[in-house]
Amino acid sequence: MLSRVANNLYWMGRYIERAEHLARYSREIYFSSLDAPILKTYDRNFALDSMLYMAGIFDMNYTKEEEVLFKIGLDLENSNSIISNITFARENARGARNAISTGLWESLNKYYHVVTNYPVEKYLTTGFYEFSQMVLDHTSILRVKIYDTLLHDEEWTVILIGIYIERVLQIIRIINAKLHDIYKIEQAGHPVTEMSFEWTTLLRCAEAFDMNRKYYANIPDCQQVIEFLMLNPSCPRSISYSLNGIRKYVRKLSRNEQGGPDTINFKIGKLHEQYNYLSFDEYKNDIYGLLNDTQRQILTIGEELEKKYLTY
Amino acid sequence: MKEQTNGILNGYKLEETHFEEVFTRQNGVKPHYQNTVDRFKQFSLADFERLNNEVKTAFFNQGITFAVYSESKKPDERIFPFDLFPRIIPAEEWTKLETGVVQRNRAINLFLEDIYHSKKILKDKVVPADLIFSSKNYLKEMVDFSPEGGIYTHISGTDLIKHSDGEYYILEDNLRCPSGVSYVLSNRMALKKSLYDLFDKLNTKTVYQYPEQLLEILKTVKPKNTDNPTVVVVTPGMYNSAYFEHSFLAQKMGIPLVEGRDLFVEKDIVYMKTIYGPKKVDVIYRRVDDEFIDPLVFRKDSMLGIPGLISAYRAGNVTLANAPGTGVADDKAVYHYVPAIIKYYLGEEPILNNVQTYHCEKDSDFKYVLENIDKLVVKPVDESGGYGISIGTKLTKEEIEEVKIRIKSDRRKYIAQPIMSLSVHPTFVEETKEFEPRHIDLRTFSLMGKNKTYTLKGGLTRVALKKGNLIVNSSQGGGSKDTWVLD
Repeated sequence: MLSRVANNLYWMGRYIERAEHLARYSREIYFSSLDAPILKTYDRNFALDSMLYMAGIFDMNYTKEEEVLFKIGLDLENSNSIISNITFARENARGARNAISTGLWESLNKYYHVVTNYPVEKYLTTGFYEFSQMVLDHTSILRVKIYDTLLHDEEWTVILIGIYIERVLQIIRIINAKLHDIYKIEQAGHPVTEMSFEWTTLLRCAEAFDMNRKYYANIPDCQQVIEFLMLNPSCPRSISYSLNGIRKYVRKLSRNEQGGPDTINFKIGKLHEQYNYLSFDEYKNDIYGLLNDTQRQILTIGEELEKKYLTY
Repeated sequence: MKEQTNGILNGYKLEETHFEEVFTRQNGVKPHYQNTVDRFKQFSLADFERLNNEVKTAFFNQGITFAVYSESKKPDERIFPFDLFPRIIPAEEWTKLETGVVQRNRAINLFLEDIYHSKKILKDKVVPADLIFSSKNYLKEMVDFSPEGGIYTHISGTDLIKHSDGEYYILEDNLRCPSGVSYVLSNRMALKKSLYDLFDKLNTKTVYQYPEQLLEILKTVKPKNTDNPTVVVVTPGMYNSAYFEHSFLAQKMGIPLVEGRDLFVEKDIVYMKTIYGPKKVDVIYRRVDDEFIDPLVFRKDSMLGIPGLISAYRAGNVTLANAPGTGVADDKAVYHYVPAIIKYYLGEEPILNNVQTYHCEKDSDFKYVLENIDKLVVKPVDESGGYGISIGTKLTKEEIEEVKIRIKSDRRKYIAQPIMSLSVHPTFVEETKEFEPRHIDLRTFSLMGKNKTYTLKGGLTRVALKKGNLIVNSSQGGGSKDTWVLD
């Protein structure tokens, strides 16, 4: 496979994943705010600020809700918006068109056209839920096409590495964003016992609420949620699960290369094993610290992958 | 003007002056179109429009589009216009056409070999030597070089029209990077989905093998000492207007689509940059023009090319399809000599006619052209895409004078032909919601390898969508039709 094509496929995977997390997070935060039990989260600006935080926009002065919705969803000038991510995913696929299946290409192209032709007026008034759902549905179709219409060779492997790297980064971002909210609520003097709603929202942001309920059969609290989203090896939305994915596919891409501490295989293996043998108690006092350290390591692994395989 | 009688073809008005492909002068239907006309008569306008929209959406989702860039950040994507009413060619008519095209391309290939080697045809004064040596497409890099298998024109696109006398005439040869075949295959897929009941009734020859035949042909010209050649398609990149076709062909052949920046040359070997390091490339189907292909030899400012490629090619380590320097033979001034070229190399009479061509370089022709510009089409010899053409009947007096000045300034550059009357075919016009006669032509695609040839059964029927327009090129607002060759 050409390095340029590998680069395109890797980024296609990342942008598809990124758009989905942003759409889901924004939707969950926005709609949970409609009937939140804690007065603070009723405040629409609180939800909008959280959405902007997730979208990596920290300096926006807005006067109307529509401005935020537009910025996050359909603003082509904002390279972090959902529409920009989908445009980038599609452009990357177009540059590697011959390396992917007709089914995957047409599904992605259709997704792009539906999103870019979505009426702005409708999105800003009544279509926000529908729009987000559409993003999630199209992403599901793409996942099936990636799994079932591509040969499981290097091309496929590179796409999955992109998806899992992005998933780790997005789950870290989601936990960070929501912890940031919860911290603000605690600062405002709300007792921790009233927080189950917020923890539930965090799970929903990662589409992991049902899985969590099944696993614990308990009212969510900090430990149950953070432990689940970070350490659970069976939850496909957890950091641990995604690290395992990166590890597995990096090894496949390297053709089972053995090597010392300098190799990507070694680094991702070590990080994954750290998660395998970690208990919540060990890091409960410094969740941010672990998240930031993981993020840093994954970014380094991503850079090394690009250098080794994707540079042309 | 006579009227047809049924359904959505009701309002179709026959034109008296051009060859009509579907209907007879007596209001009847030509036998090979009978099933199709019957099928179209069953459509109500609403049914037909729905089908038309479905097909357009399918093209859109498949990405068979071109982008129009404007100031807004989002490019406007459009599909190439496609008409659902197929153009049908009966078996006998096709056989003659195919034989004629193959004959022509065989002769042209021999001509190229000759002018780059012993130059017999020039010494025998069948073709003027000046005409060849003054062409910017005659490449000195190709002199005395023998491409693998003696093949120069692996892929040829031959454009034909049907004149009012009902005969086919060759309009031009495209021997560099002829494009359009992806539309032939996409149009066919679209029609099979939307008019499948009609396919049941007709024995239409299939077109799907083109990519596999192309790959086989490319493999026949692999460099010596190569067992299992790595074949690639080279594209200028995804902002090129034919990118859809480049990616389509690479995907259908299952081979890499590469850009100049993916390749490099070391010690006269061409490599592509893969995730596991350099991999040797043996055969290149290049969709980059000669002048951009190697900045060390041709245009130094080319960002699309591969430095050192021509040296690797001349060392026999890589095959280029088509060979560089084929443009000298599809020059519109050389076109005039193709019938003589056929006779010279093959000892056969040309099966297909040329359009009468006046050469402004020749004094007698030059005089005739200047006196008759209002009745002629004047074309620059080295432009494609319908650019630079003046059609005499459409010119004002001032414009005629301007054309005269242009010709006088560079006589070698211009040829003239009588205004040919391209045949017309019922075509759905979205503005009027009716079928109207529109001019069509045909581009055939022929492949030539070592001991192997293939001609696509059918080709790309291009249709000029603007009323009365004779230029069918897509860059000038032309559309296309599926072309059915009957068994």
